[in-house]
Amino acid sequence: MKKIHECIIRLNNEVSPNHYRLVLQNKDIPIHALPGQFVMLEVSTGYYPFLRRPMSIERIFHDGISILYKVCGEGTKILSTLSAGEKINVQGPLGNSFPLPEDNKRSLIVAGGIGVAPFPALVEKILNIKGIAPEVILAGKTFNHLLCEKDFRQMGCKIHLVTEDGSAGYKGMATDFLKSLDLPENILIYTCGPLPMIKNVHEICNKNGWLCYASLEAEMACGEGVCLGCVLPARIEVEKEMMVRVCKEGPIFDTRIILWDKIGEE
Amino acid sequence: MNVNMKVTIGNLTLKNPVTVASGTFGYGEEYSEYFDISCLGAVTVKSLTLKPRLGNPPPRIVETPAGMLNAIGLQNVGLEVYLKEKLPYLRQKKCTIIANIYGTSIQEYEELAERLEKEGGADAIEMNLSCPNVHDARSRYKCPLVAQSPEWVEKYTMAVRSKIKLPLIVKLSPNVTDITEPAISAEKGGADAISIINTLLGMSIDIKTQKPKLKNVVGGLSGPAIRPVAVKMVWDVSRTVKIPVIGMGGICTVNDALEFIFAGAKLIAVGSFIFRDPLAPIKIIQGLEEYCNSHRIEDINKLIGSVIIS
Repeated sequence: MKKIHECIIRLNNEVSPNHYRLVLQNKDIPIHALPGQFVMLEVSTGYYPFLRRPMSIERIFHDGISILYKVCGEGTKILSTLSAGEKINVQGPLGNSFPLPEDNKRSLIVAGGIGVAPFPALVEKILNIKGIAPEVILAGKTFNHLLCEKDFRQMGCKIHLVTEDGSAGYKGMATDFLKSLDLPENILIYTCGPLPMIKNVHEICNKNGWLCYASLEAEMACGEGVCLGCVLPARIEVEKEMMVRVCKEGPIFDTRIILWDKIGEE
Repeated sequence: MNVNMKVTIGNLTLKNPVTVASGTFGYGEEYSEYFDISCLGAVTVKSLTLKPRLGNPPPRIVETPAGMLNAIGLQNVGLEVYLKEKLPYLRQKKCTIIANIYGTSIQEYEELAERLEKEGGADAIEMNLSCPNVHDARSRYKCPLVAQSPEWVEKYTMAVRSKIKLPLIVKLSPNVTDITEPAISAEKGGADAISIINTLLGMSIDIKTQKPKLKNVVGGLSGPAIRPVAVKMVWDVSRTVKIPVIGMGGICTVNDALEFIFAGAKLIAVGSFIFRDPLAPIKIIQGLEEYCNSHRIEDINKLIGSVIIS
């Protein structure tokens, strides 16, 4: 499988303050891409920034993919200046993908801010295969941070909006809202967003016996499991602690295997 | 023109002078989807230790201007898993293998080298005497690296030399006042080649949290940012010792590779730039051949140390 592609930028538009959607034209990536996978973008042909930028695939089209990103550093700032018609070097698709819900199992997505990025492709896939769209908790700081609402509605998702400032939907945190829902025991939860949110979603799921898959991120150099930079402490077998690579064993993890106490702020 | 691209290290002949720096190419198989890895002069594998190592807690890497800092801490599968699960693929692909080894004592280096030779696990051994990330930077004594003591370099090299017949490479640290001193020691100890340079120690602080960006506090700097330092050290060492120098440090393109060869390197290694462009080593091999062709050089060895200093 060819993994390095020159793509033509079809669109690179600001969809909300500081948030962009990049549409890349390429016929090879969609053949192999699965929801939850990511690509590494070469944002500069020079040495600053030195490394590629890992980005979740937002949607998979027959002739390309889209990526939703937030400008948060030098790399994404440069990326946001690229225009339609320009070329960009793309490595991927990389990593594992979201497991799909078993027959008739309900699924619920908990997306925080730019953490919504991998979910449109997942919803599309579940809809295509199962015929039922997952429910979505779309959370953000303000209504400006709620992305993809229209896309989810078009795909037939039941959506719950949650904002910290109450500018749209339920006022509060995604996790408070999640707790307030009456969900069946066999529900499958998908989540992505700020690390503290994912951690809380995991705890709620754990308490209720819900299976939860999270899309995680990490500083990453190679995307191929070589540099060992993006690791997280995990426990796959009882009593055996190991490091899992976000780029290779992930980015999608059953949240029960991650040793949450050992990551983030001490 | 048919250019001779072959180079020799000890009694080992490599099909071309391009390898990869340990730790930037895994155990080879990871990049086999990108190109035919047997085209490399040699595959240098991630540092091996006797027992598997978990490595340092994350965050382990941070991007820096024209490079990156890493403090992986030698996470690796260990010798047994390497021999059982990683080696067969490399052998099946008919790769020339440089096994990089790390021990916490002379005995561990000896055991690793002996086992690798006995079980056909390598075509050359590279002793990593210079990993900057296995000691706690906060400790008062800062635990010097073996490569920072010429005396120890000679002792370690001599010990391993006496145990194996395979070509022996010693990888040195740039974190010294005069790199030629440990280089001379490695030669005296019986090394067949010297790899320079390992990463330069560095540190990066997050101004928002006021904490180091790496959990390990400090790490090793690599990438084009360190290239001029590496070229200079290759030049220093290659004028001082008779054994070949393997040059590495920020090589991204064929022009970078040529700089190292002109400075005196017989073999060059592509390092962290592989993370950015996995095809870089292949592009460099092709580029070197094209350079020789267009400059009517029939043997790449003629370029080694050909820098003109007037």
